[in-house]
Amino acid sequence: MEMDIWPFLALSLGVSGLVRLLPWGTERQRVVASLLVLLAFMCWAPFVLDNFRLIQMTRIAALGLALLGLNILTGYNGQVSLGHGAFVLMGAYTVAVLLDRKEQLNLIDASPWPFWATIFVAGFLAAAAGLVIGVPALRLSGPYLAIATLAVMISFPIIVRKYGTFTGGSQGIAFSRPPTPPFLEDLLRREQWTYFLCLLALLVMTALAWNLLRGQFGRALQAVRDSEVAAAAMGIHVARVKVLAFVISAFYAGVAGALLALMTGIVNPETVDIVQSINYLAGIVIGGLASIMGSIIGAGAIVFIPSDAANQLAKLPFLDPDMLRRAPGAIQGAVVILVMMLMPYGVAGALHRLARLRPEQVLAGWRQVPALASQALGRLSWAWDIRPRARQGPGSHNPKREVVGHGDGGSNRPTQDEMTKGGQ
Amino acid sequence: MEALLSGLLSAPVFLAPKPWEDWSLFGEQVVLGLLTGALYALVALAIVLIYRSTDIINFAQSEMAMFGTFAMWSIWLSGVAFFSNPWVLLVLAGLFGLGLGAVVERVVIRPVEGKPVLTIVVVTLGLFLVLNSVATWIWAQGELPKSFPSPLSVLDSWDIGFASIPEHRVLIFAVGAGAMVLLGLLFNYTKVGLAMRATAQNPLAAQLMGINVGNMLTLGWALSGALGGIAGALIAPVVTLHPAFMLPVLLYSFAAAVLGGLNSVPGAVVGGFIIGVAENLLGTYTPHAILGPEMSLPLALMLLVAILLVRPTGLLGERTVRKV
Repeated sequence: MEMDIWPFLALSLGVSGLVRLLPWGTERQRVVASLLVLLAFMCWAPFVLDNFRLIQMTRIAALGLALLGLNILTGYNGQVSLGHGAFVLMGAYTVAVLLDRKEQLNLIDASPWPFWATIFVAGFLAAAAGLVIGVPALRLSGPYLAIATLAVMISFPIIVRKYGTFTGGSQGIAFSRPPTPPFLEDLLRREQWTYFLCLLALLVMTALAWNLLRGQFGRALQAVRDSEVAAAAMGIHVARVKVLAFVISAFYAGVAGALLALMTGIVNPETVDIVQSINYLAGIVIGGLASIMGSIIGAGAIVFIPSDAANQLAKLPFLDPDMLRRAPGAIQGAVVILVMMLMPYGVAGALHRLARLRPEQVLAGWRQVPALASQALGRLSWAWDIRPRARQGPGSHNPKREVVGHGDGGSNRPTQDEMTKGGQ
Repeated sequence: MEALLSGLLSAPVFLAPKPWEDWSLFGEQVVLGLLTGALYALVALAIVLIYRSTDIINFAQSEMAMFGTFAMWSIWLSGVAFFSNPWVLLVLAGLFGLGLGAVVERVVIRPVEGKPVLTIVVVTLGLFLVLNSVATWIWAQGELPKSFPSPLSVLDSWDIGFASIPEHRVLIFAVGAGAMVLLGLLFNYTKVGLAMRATAQNPLAAQLMGINVGNMLTLGWALSGALGGIAGALIAPVVTLHPAFMLPVLLYSFAAAVLGGLNSVPGAVVGGFIIGVAENLLGTYTPHAILGPEMSLPLALMLLVAILLVRPTGLLGERTVRKV
């Protein structure tokens, strides 16, 4: 049985969504059951999708880990990093060097490592790098940190090219991918095996992240993000929390890089370039900040937008298909800008709001439509609005918005606080 | 042991020219660094201009300049005799940047004004992706990189005794310095400049004084776009034109702006010159086998981070005290 990816995704998300929303059992039972259903579909995926789509799904699983790591740092802890590509690249190179060039490391035991061990080594090495960068990052914040991490991302490939004996310079390293384990050889093709490997890693590490973030540490992360002074006053060791966020996040990125390397069997400085690294940030913003689900949705977005959005848009009569196919970044960038303007909490935030809706709220919402429409029109007026106006600082109020906020049903909307915490 | 140590130090890996062996080389590198530094100062000024008035770091600065320079390249090839004059192209690059900056502020930045830092950073990064990708699709067909005309020769140089200075670098310096002087005059001696400074300092008070704050912000972005556009057209003949040609310039300029202090105009200029000189000296006087010219960008960036750690506000930046 063969299926295209879109019907497949619609089916799996639809069924698990139904399990989640239908009135049975307790809330917890519904959530667990819907996740299990989704997992079952994901295990079925490699047997119904064609090879191209399967590789895409594998990429989503691997990138999902990188984005989850970035989200722990940026979404939960508020430290903007443009340099996560460097950690991913580092993980990828660790695997390649350990599997292919181990004799050059002058270690006593020169036999190649089992591939699964290299994944851990990649994660821990990246985590160590995260520590090295996370400590100086304590002194930087906001735009300064973004620039410093961008500097790391730019420098890393240059360094890799320069010291080519280990890293193979610009050509990189091509190594033989680990074979399917013998007991699975009859059951799975190589791509299917890689997919299950990445899916397993994603499952385990998502579970770990969920466990970590829902508890005291997760609250500390968000408290530090929202106000360092207040967090310190509540007894949180701010510096320790911020450095730990960097270390954990780099660990995730390193593991993701290792998986990407095992997927392709080739690593070079262009495996993760600066645009990719920016895409990671774009991905968590599209998916939803401070949300585990959002990280994975974001990974889906940065994999599917270049491959599919261009083809879909090319069907519109007034756009030139060739041009669109050559410029996937334009669509991605446009999506990022629009999401930031329209859905500041990303897809996960929007879904979370949807899931919390009750029928009476929907009715109340409908009554709000005229007000919202006029507000939207008002928002469009910036283009020709030449009246003098004050900059809206964080403390100042927008009188237009306030009028709508006091309308009936306005209080039903989740507060900012609820939305950032939700959607896990 | 001593023999081993001296042997190690004289190994080819660690060999590098020493400044005291040849002072004219040192002088040449410093002059070249100052000339390139003018370019970094120009772009750093563009960054500071926006940061001071809106607290935004424009990560798309390089791509706006790249886009403008490619547009100028198209005009240059259009065949109209008037546009084949490189001086005209330089002026047009500035004007194009002016327009692009204003449009970007109105259409992309205004809707997210006052949102958290992350939102705005991501929006400028989105702009980066869009411009980079659109430029790739329009212009990056056929052979890359493409050549770009310069009013002066890129290959000829002038001899000033201890050093020979490429003509084009002198042009970069002259135009860069000219633009900075003009900007200084604008800010200090005109009413518009006063209004822009007032807006940067306190938008609410400026508005109460009858200043059109929205227009001032647009003007700030436009000026910044113009500076970037001129910088792009200045450096393009040297590094040749391809969709990523402005990115290293932007990074050096970020380093310059942060070094001088993101909210300090003189800081940006000083930082630009320091980074320019440091780039040249690091490239020349570090052992080529392990560091050398291609590592000067990472080294400059490391220098930047080191300075940030000691002085997080940069050399001339003001400390801002935030009330919580």
